Amino acid sequence: MANKKDASTARGASSNGRWNVPTGRRTDEWSEALVLIGESQDRGAFTRFFRHFAPLIKAFALSGSSLSASHADELVQEVMLKVWQKAGGFNPEKAAASTWVYTIARNCRTDMFRRLQKFDTPLASDDFELESEQEESFVLLHSRRGAERVRELMSDLPPDQAQILAKVYMEGKSHSEAAAELDLPLGTVKSRVRLAIQKLQGLMEA
Amino acid sequence: MAHHHPPMDLLIEYTTGALPVAQSACVAAHLSYCQQCRQLVERLEDVGGAHLERLDPQPVGQSVLELVMARLDDPEPLRYAPNEASDTQLPGLLDRLINGDYADLVWKRVTQSLSISYLKTGDPNHEFALYRIAEGGRIPEHTHSGSEMTLVLRGGFADESGEYHPGDFLVREGWDKHTPVALEGEECICLAVLDAPLRFTRLRHRWLNPLLKLRAG
Repeated sequence: MANKKDASTARGASSNGRWNVPTGRRTDEWSEALVLIGESQDRGAFTRFFRHFAPLIKAFALSGSSLSASHADELVQEVMLKVWQKAGGFNPEKAAASTWVYTIARNCRTDMFRRLQKFDTPLASDDFELESEQEESFVLLHSRRGAERVRELMSDLPPDQAQILAKVYMEGKSHSEAAAELDLPLGTVKSRVRLAIQKLQGLMEA
Repeated sequence: MAHHHPPMDLLIEYTTGALPVAQSACVAAHLSYCQQCRQLVERLEDVGGAHLERLDPQPVGQSVLELVMARLDDPEPLRYAPNEASDTQLPGLLDRLINGDYADLVWKRVTQSLSISYLKTGDPNHEFALYRIAEGGRIPEHTHSGSEMTLVLRGGFADESGEYHPGDFLVREGWDKHTPVALEGEECICLAVLDAPLRFTRLRHRWLNPLLKLRAG
């Protein structure tokens, strides 16, 4: 799926016929699809994107069985509609497609939880997103490589750290909720999460 | 540039959507001042993206795709437009809660140099308020029974552990006593998110404590 390239080879990426764009752009097919959706409202690209991500978003919704199957389908609809509406703002140099989808799914799920709890707030999670801005190119390169490294390194995490990280990220649990569910002291949860992140991050910085 | 940042644990909980809305808004407001933390959050989000890709896909019916395709031409939902007339120079999120200028808010005077304005976030467990301290003014010595997040928005203050300027973020837990004093030259405005009321510790200020009942919501 991911066509891994670093910046040095991306310069010549057009040689494989998939990209003839400037240096440093992401070359994975889902970023490419998002760009097509954003730039030309390409429904074919959107359908492909849906077939890949909708089942993952549904799995995300059902993580920790926090939502019913029908709410999970509703969440899939909301997220995919946002993908369509916001694709024009996707910057393939700044984020991986999966990271971008994750932030939308997280926001929609938070808002859905609040709605289901009849929680009345003037703030939607999207209000928390900051205006995107021009970042230094070395930062972009850094984050682009970071996303790829994280993906590779996840499988090297020890099971206890991987389990907690999944609970925190996919189930959206706070540290204290995770501690209660796993019957672990809060300090243990915090240090495992921190260690796991440091491992992913330390190598991201390497 | 901010010199005091949210701890890593808090940034992780912010990134995963686990924070209550009032605390989340306070962290988001710090991010609008702090490129360093923004970049860290983006990298923490990559961990979320990587997890998403590794989930076991769950079947989604063709009807869901059809429902979405049928809605693609719907008008996009209205988005909040920044208030250009505002003088607060605040991150858009806070600007929206304040909805005008500092001067237009209802300020409740607590002491000669301290006024508080309570903002509504809908969070049932946290008070979300602006503290306005006259230049050189002092907040009487106090403790917190719960946690307090503070973000400096204007001016600055100093306490027993340091000096804080716009964008600086502090978290205090439990019973540590402190006595913030606004810096000279400009009034100080801070955002404070509390899950339990302040408690003034000195006898001559204790009568004020009932006035500081937590106003969540």
